[in-house]
Amino acid sequence: MSSMILGARSQARIVGVGESPLGKVPDLSALQLQQAAAQAALDDAGLDWSDIDGLLTTPVRVANWAMPCGVVAEGLGIRSPRYLATLDVAGASGTAMVHQAAMVINAGQCDTVLCVAGQNLLTHSARADAVKQMAEGGWAHPQFEAPYGPLIASLYALVAQRHMHEYGTTPEQLAEVAVAMRAHASLNPLAQKRTPITVDEVVSSRMITSPLHVLDCALVSDGAAAIIVSRADRARDLRRRPVEILGQGYGFSHAYVGPYERLTATGAADSGRAAFAMAGVRPAEIDVAELYDCFTITVIVELEDLGFCAKGEGGAFVQGGRIALGGALPVTTHGGLLSACHPGLAGGMFHVIEAVRQLRGECGERQVRDARLALAHGNGGVIGIHCTLILGTD
Amino acid sequence: MNHPLKALSDSLTAPWWSHLERDEFAMPRCLDCGRWHFHPQPRCPHCGGTSVVWQQASGRGEVYSFTVVHRAPSPAFATEVPYTIGIVATEEGPHLMTRLIGIAPDAVRIGLAVRICIGPMIGDGPPLALFQPDPDRASGLACPAS
Repeated sequence: MSSMILGARSQARIVGVGESPLGKVPDLSALQLQQAAAQAALDDAGLDWSDIDGLLTTPVRVANWAMPCGVVAEGLGIRSPRYLATLDVAGASGTAMVHQAAMVINAGQCDTVLCVAGQNLLTHSARADAVKQMAEGGWAHPQFEAPYGPLIASLYALVAQRHMHEYGTTPEQLAEVAVAMRAHASLNPLAQKRTPITVDEVVSSRMITSPLHVLDCALVSDGAAAIIVSRADRARDLRRRPVEILGQGYGFSHAYVGPYERLTATGAADSGRAAFAMAGVRPAEIDVAELYDCFTITVIVELEDLGFCAKGEGGAFVQGGRIALGGALPVTTHGGLLSACHPGLAGGMFHVIEAVRQLRGECGERQVRDARLALAHGNGGVIGIHCTLILGTD
Repeated sequence: MNHPLKALSDSLTAPWWSHLERDEFAMPRCLDCGRWHFHPQPRCPHCGGTSVVWQQASGRGEVYSFTVVHRAPSPAFATEVPYTIGIVATEEGPHLMTRLIGIAPDAVRIGLAVRICIGPMIGDGPPLALFQPDPDRASGLACPAS
């Protein structure tokens, strides 16, 4: 039985975070973007490439890598890792990578694990191609769903339509999420879309798949992210204040959305319950929540299922700027997938990076005052798989 | 019959296509617990049983959710937009994704009574399990896909 099960404190700490140039970066390949992100995280931590003895990455869509962790280890010159793996829990990969790096540290397998992922998704394909590739990416079942012609956005639109039916959620409430994310992105120099938008602009933007408009949908971006997890005793000597994973949890309900019979209830309820129990804190104690925001409806169901409000009240919860900076619960303060950056599976890593920076007090204009407890949440598939982290500083 | 979708099928999913070719709507049913499920799985998702058979279902259900697609996911669908994708809660229990036909997109509502309509969705495409307003429970309509 591991010491973790007996309740001993985790020895893993997040010691460095970084990203490549984000948005449209036509002159860098996936591997170059990952190199840039990893270098930024090493510089942030005050570590050298030779300190890295573990590697976690994700698959990419822009290149035919049969063995992503091997390609990345070779490309980044990580010559004798004591652990390496390719992780894929879809959109939950960002939070899950960090948790699994911590497990590797706590198992004594490695001293310092680099989590790195990203790609030039925007540049690789014209947007139309990217949409087609994603639509054919298997998110809809190839035989039982894809033949009817759904976009990925359609799969989330089915959730949104049902949520509106059951709880009276409105398009304007969905739009509030997009407005808050854009307001946050306007304060993030790295964000892809920084011009503020209004609820009216969201609901009058082009309808993609009802009830979701184009501004209810995430971006497609170039970019990579890196997060370095090391041991507490080493973290003390490094450049930044270490960040600890106080709790984590996973939740799973379904692989495909068509057969899922409770379309408005997600595995975030399980992942959140487990994470809060482990951390010994309640939702009301969270200072900032970096929630996965692939579509506006995603944030609303996460707020409910993570326990920030009652089921069905997510629409009312996001109204009046309550999830914007200065509101009751600042959510996804870097601008998220909706306005900052979404290069595929790496997208959820930016939520963890922002949580770390908020806890260190480095966020400048978008800093949440006295942020001591942060939640980062990843959602994968079509609300099917979830990983929640609760983070704090020593 | 050979078509691209049937070419994707395997021993778990082939009965879906062979039933549709015979103009039959069938779903897997567990002999251990008696409950229906969809998609087909190696073990019954309700009881874990492995004695599963395909049985013809009523083809009746109601709209559980829907979305009107305005932007085609690929050129193959470009001439069809806008169209309505629905999730139908079948009388037998399982939910399934489908195309809702025979009704204007802006007339679709959650709870609408629908029934199966097996036919090609596009031109000479393979027979698919489409759904339309139920002529017994709503205004009568011929199956536009047949």
